[in-house]
Amino acid sequence: MEYIVETNQLTKRFGKEIAVDRVDMRIPKGEIYGFLGPNGAGKTTTIRMLLGLMKPSFGSVQVFQKFLNEDRLNILKKVGSLVENPSYYPHLTAYENLEALRKVYGIPKSSITEVLELVRLSDVGNKKVKGFSLGMKQRLGIASALLHNPELLILDEPTNGLDPSGIIEIRNLIKRLPAERGITILISSHLLSEIDQIATTVGVLNKGHLIFQDTIERMREYSKQKVLLSVSDREHAWQSLVAAGIKAELHNGMISLKEKSDEKVAQAVRSLVHNDFSIYRVEEEKGSLEGIFLEMTTEEKSL
Amino acid sequence: MIGKLVAQDVLKIKRKGIWFLTFLGPFGVVALQMVNYGVRKAYLLQQSDDDWAYYISNVSAFSPFALILGIAILTSFMASIENETNGWKQLTALPVSKMAIYLSKFTVLVMLLFLSSILLALFSLSYGVFLNLGDEIPYLELLKYSIYPFLASLPVLALQLWVATVSKNQGIPITVGVFGVILSYSAYVLPDWMIWKWPSLLNQWNEPMINVLFGLTFGAILYVIGMVDFMRRDVK
Ligand SMILES: Nc1ncnc2c1ncn2[C@@H]1O[C@H](COP(=O)(O)OP(=O)(O)OP(=O)(O)O)[C@@H](O)[C@H]1O
Ligand SMILES: [Mg+2]
Repeated sequence: MEYIVETNQLTKRFGKEIAVDRVDMRIPKGEIYGFLGPNGAGKTTTIRMLLGLMKPSFGSVQVFQKFLNEDRLNILKKVGSLVENPSYYPHLTAYENLEALRKVYGIPKSSITEVLELVRLSDVGNKKVKGFSLGMKQRLGIASALLHNPELLILDEPTNGLDPSGIIEIRNLIKRLPAERGITILISSHLLSEIDQIATTVGVLNKGHLIFQDTIERMREYSKQKVLLSVSDREHAWQSLVAAGIKAELHNGMISLKEKSDEKVAQAVRSLVHNDFSIYRVEEEKGSLEGIFLEMTTEEKSL
Repeated sequence: MIGKLVAQDVLKIKRKGIWFLTFLGPFGVVALQMVNYGVRKAYLLQQSDDDWAYYISNVSAFSPFALILGIAILTSFMASIENETNGWKQLTALPVSKMAIYLSKFTVLVMLLFLSSILLALFSLSYGVFLNLGDEIPYLELLKYSIYPFLASLPVLALQLWVATVSKNQGIPITVGVFGVILSYSAYVLPDWMIWKWPSLLNQWNEPMINVLFGLTFGAILYVIGMVDFMRRDVK
């Protein structure tokens, strides 16, 4: 498989603290890679190392199959990024902000009007950014990242601080990009719901460890529903089920059935009633992605 | 690469009052002499046989001080433009080396200060002519006393740029700047090795050229040290 981003044992230490710990990130071409992790997991630190803003304490970064420490300038020509809060010059207009970047990329002026159009800032292009709303600044940040038509787009929490309509707008914009421009996207977030809606591949970072990395479908498989039984004398009830050859687990004071077909559930209930256990509740828990995410990040063990 | 970055930096200093300060510095220095000569012209003309030389010495009593003050203000303005919304990270993520980023900042500052020095020569000349100090106008001396202090101040510029770009707390470069201004104001009593004395062109050998050569040499050394430190650091 062709990886656009590939890190090997990427590690960053700040004094004693290890913010990023031996991360092997793999981003296949054309994917939207959702980079998930709770606050302080090390997402921004990883992204900074991908861009060469920080030097890794250990390990290496390859982008477009070239080592970042050897080919940094050639790589960065094809990478657009928005790290944490957007950087902008408040005393300049939106157009001038983009013009400052354009001068360095040495691309035609028409690209400025194009990206302003794309993020719907054309009307305010000649206004100073100082007076922009948070959402407008964020969109300008995305415009800056897209200005030179990059092949890899790195967005660190791009919807931070946006209202719901702003979030939807940015999400739709991001979703369109791989198809329209053939770019690969890395998007970080601490909200699973956000990643769930746009990502095709997911990486979960927790306390500096990459604890999961696979397609979004594989991630969803972990979230299959469970059937839970609340019963009297659960210890014995569970033993009787297992004795009857029914696959079950004791879980948080409930019995959790491993096989969830109607027939298997009916069989379990019948067996319990038959053995004189009282059944208080039979419930179905729709394991959400949120649930697995929390499970993954609290248990802190590798899947 | 450096040309593009300089063009970018020139765009970024727009509307920041930086061009105005570049003009105001030399104008202020000559304006002080306008007051001085305006109030007691007759007395001042009596002080010396060479009125032009005496006038130039009066002007250059304040220019080093203005220069050091200007360096402190311009470098901190320059750094604040990037610090305000952490433009450093956007800048570093561009396909340019950190060396070029630093060199570009330094280049723009040198251009501004050089412009200030030329303006100082022009303003001094104009007011001198207006004062009717004599027909033999010492063009060379006028230029020398405008450009030499600038060249001798390069170590201070390199130091201030270094401190301003790498400090997380902007109080540090401002403190260094204020001390520099105070030191340059007391140039007479400073030992020769202090860089803040150099723009005054004073030294025990009475040879301004020594300060210029030291300025260029130590300016280059401090520039390289600052740049290497800037390149070595992680960008937040
Ligand atoms: N420059 C730094 N110096 C020291 N520690 C740092 C530095 N930058 C980050 N850290 C530490 O590294 C850890 C990871 O931080 P990072 O910003 O990468 O997390 P994150 O996943 O981006 O979190 P968030 O969702 O809050 O943005 C944190 O514990 C933080 O305190
Ligand atoms: Mg972060």
